[in-house]
Amino acid sequence: MEKAALDLYSLRRSFMDGEVLICFNGPFSHSIIEEIGIAVKRYLETETASRSAVSDVFAVFVELAQNVQSYTGRLKERKDEPGADAGTLAIGRRGDSYAVSAGNMMDHSDVVGLSERLETLRNMDKPGLKALYKETLRGPRLPDGGAGLGLIDVARRASQPLSWSFREIDDRYRFFSLSVII
Amino acid sequence: MKGAPFMNDLIIPGSVSSPTVRLDAARGTMELSGESYPQNAFDFFAPIIDWARQFLRESPSPLTLELRVSYLNTSSTKCVIDLLDLLEGAHKIGRRVQVVWYCDPENERAREAAEEFREDVTLPFEIRMEGPGQ
Repeated sequence: MEKAALDLYSLRRSFMDGEVLICFNGPFSHSIIEEIGIAVKRYLETETASRSAVSDVFAVFVELAQNVQSYTGRLKERKDEPGADAGTLAIGRRGDSYAVSAGNMMDHSDVVGLSERLETLRNMDKPGLKALYKETLRGPRLPDGGAGLGLIDVARRASQPLSWSFREIDDRYRFFSLSVII
Repeated sequence: MKGAPFMNDLIIPGSVSSPTVRLDAARGTMELSGESYPQNAFDFFAPIIDWARQFLRESPSPLTLELRVSYLNTSSTKCVIDLLDLLEGAHKIGRRVQVVWYCDPENERAREAAEEFREDVTLPFEIRMEGPGQ
């Protein structure tokens, strides 16, 4: 069956309505993360955002993008779900703040652990997050090569509680989406 | 006093996501500058930490870590903590080791990050406010 041509105008409207500045959808590689990172920084610097705001948006972008890259990299061997190797990332405005959002397909068996972790972080205040960050810094490295610090760092830089969702796709997969306001 | 001529210098050119590294055995300096969010921070930092360990083992000379790193992702932060722990251990047995951390004065977040590293050690640790390129 022939597909309808891409409706660029409605795509553009979605971006504009959502105040999206930069969006990427597809497989995340390290060089793509570098390229988007350069664009993010240039854009924010021309917007005369403060150096601290640029730092926070950039840092949250890097941690979320590297999480997506690492997780989707592990899903890649599975051919049962089209798009499992692709991540979606958007950076946008929210009034005077910025929002960094990232999403990817997730095996349903990973949902409970991740949501408990996010719930814990959401209920912690800044001093509590700092203490947890420092404790985790001294802890062992995780089997996936990460340090388990990424989400804590993101929560520390957020100006509002983290928000997330898991959308049911089929028996096996959920679409995980996390949004961070800075 | 001469440094450690038996040790090699380690030079790693920088990239968009990894700092320029200059480890100079004769001067006893470890310089890192740039941004750090490499594909695999543990692989990137392993030779740097090994170099410091070898220097402390084989040379009696002082060792200075100079950082001009405007951004460290969390994996790189963990690696820098490992490096600081190594230097702290040397400091505690009487070695002359120090850290000088250069920060962009306009980036409050970078200064806070440097201060957080300093909270965890007792070795001489100076934070200098200097703009980029100075």
